[in-house]
Amino acid sequence: MGPLIPNDIISHEWSYIIAILIGLAFGYILEASGFSSSRKLAGVFYGYDFVVLKVFFTAALVSVIGILYMDYLGYLDFNSLYVHPTFLWGAIIGGAIMGIGFVSGGFCPGTSLCAVAIGKIDAMVFVGGILIGIFIFSELISFFEPIYSGYYFGNVTLVDSLGISPYWFVFIFTIIAIIAFIVVDIIRKRNKKIFYN
Amino acid sequence: MKELEKTKRISIAAVLFILIIIIGLLFYERPKHLYTVNSNDMLEKVIKADYFIALDKIDDPSIVLIDIRSPFEFEKGHLNEAINISTPELLKGDNPELFNKIAANKKVAILYGSTPTEANNAFMVLYQLGFENIKILLVSLAYEQNKLITNNSIIEKNVTDINAFIAESQKKVKIVPKPKKRIPKKVVPKKKKKKMPVEGGC
Amino acid sequence: MINRKLAKVLSFRYKILAIIFLVLAGGLVVLPKYEKQEGIQPEALLKNAVSSERYITTDELADLIINQDPSFILIDVREEESYKKYSLPNSINIPLDKLLSEDSNSFLNQDQFDVILFSNDHFYADQAWLICNRLDYNHIRVLKGGLNAWFNTIINPEKPSENQSVIASELYSFRKAASMYFGVAYPDEFKAKPVVKIIPKKKVIPKKKKKKMPVEGGC
Repeated sequence: MGPLIPNDIISHEWSYIIAILIGLAFGYILEASGFSSSRKLAGVFYGYDFVVLKVFFTAALVSVIGILYMDYLGYLDFNSLYVHPTFLWGAIIGGAIMGIGFVSGGFCPGTSLCAVAIGKIDAMVFVGGILIGIFIFSELISFFEPIYSGYYFGNVTLVDSLGISPYWFVFIFTIIAIIAFIVVDIIRKRNKKIFYN
Repeated sequence: MKELEKTKRISIAAVLFILIIIIGLLFYERPKHLYTVNSNDMLEKVIKADYFIALDKIDDPSIVLIDIRSPFEFEKGHLNEAINISTPELLKGDNPELFNKIAANKKVAILYGSTPTEANNAFMVLYQLGFENIKILLVSLAYEQNKLITNNSIIEKNVTDINAFIAESQKKVKIVPKPKKRIPKKVVPKKKKKKMPVEGGC
Repeated sequence: MINRKLAKVLSFRYKILAIIFLVLAGGLVVLPKYEKQEGIQPEALLKNAVSSERYITTDELADLIINQDPSFILIDVREEESYKKYSLPNSINIPLDKLLSEDSNSFLNQDQFDVILFSNDHFYADQAWLICNRLDYNHIRVLKGGLNAWFNTIINPEKPSENQSVIASELYSFRKAASMYFGVAYPDEFKAKPVVKIIPKKKVIPKKKKKKMPVEGGC
């Protein structure tokens, strides 16, 4: 049956509308769970608030378990899902740069837009920074090109590269997630509680 | 109290998540017929070509003849002791069970049609569904004065050398064949994976 | 009172949620595995197999070749030896054992051209077709009767007797013209200019399948 759009159950023309609806819901939930606060986001790095980690870990778990169940029951074809291509060094360097930006700015690109929507000035500055970054990158694209599109590994997943059954992988991943939750809870309890306004 | 309100959201989400999986499981219908042989194995079997049986070997008691032609053709004339299961009916009703029963009795189901090619459809579908004790009878059927005639059939026999025939005909007329204009071979462009813009994460 | 009890239960909520996750993930591990079903449903395969829609007659094919219709590819599924000996003009050789190799895939699994499979008879071509059909390759056809029929109808057409219908003699003249196109010479036709009948070119409308595009994710 699924995925709905590639199998033409929902036509391609709808994809933008669906994308907008999902985007609205995503933005709403980010804001509603307090992700537009840079303190909360940066809390992961300082060890007083791990909501970001928990939310994203849980979201990944829910979706991966859901997808695997749907795949198992034949509602969804696992193999026709889009897998983001891996450009190894591009991803590593980009990830590091984004991490630095995350700690210092207190937002990640998605949440910064959320925060702009509720009128936070620091977020607007942050988005300005993103735009400047994009501009510099686009101007120097010929210089970055070898890293940007080099080290191409294709559309690999962790399961492919580790060569284990996806089911075991998810099980291990769940255990890791739960252990991570417990550990970060212990770390959080050692720190002072911080209240946001 | 504020804490409790938050809990509600969490429990609703959790319940929904489980509910969706349970509903999925409840409405899940296991497909009736499943392939047990994948395409590569099927191809190997096809190349091995060990699934034919000659017409003079069908007196063996360990075989069951199955006529895959339409019931109408079957009525007109069929081999002795043949069972009629026409190809479109193969997967309907008790027919799959019949094949299972034949397998359980350690017998071999021999499929035949008016040509081996006709039986091939049924053979390949059944084989991919895991019925391995089936073979194709090398027979071609014809009627003569309403009597069924069976002929040995050789599959894929190369009857004539077409090149030789053409050359022969040209020799007769004594013309020198004009060099044929070769039309360039078609090249199918390999589909390149569309390069998608890399999207940023959040 | 109820509230307090509820609160007590709910104080374990994170543990409960963690357990739910573990159970569900564990469920995936212990669920009985079956081999992934590849290709179309068996019922659909059977239905397609029964239908004779896939066959193209030698006359239709001769017409296509003579008119230089660009919309089809000929694929010879016999072994290489026979292919070298004789094959249809401009055909590509994909022996059965290479049917599922990657190189063949670009010919078979595409929707720009109609693919016409042929062998000596149509037995092997049919088998190849069935394998391709299961994998949901579209636009694949089979030359009915294969090369033997090609020889009997196009290269060496049987001359109809006098008392046969007009259609039969028309068909014969078409086939004869076609055979001359493919290099057969007739003594009686040598001096007279061969009149090639013009047959209305059949239009093959290439069905455009929507490209299966993976939907890109990202957050």
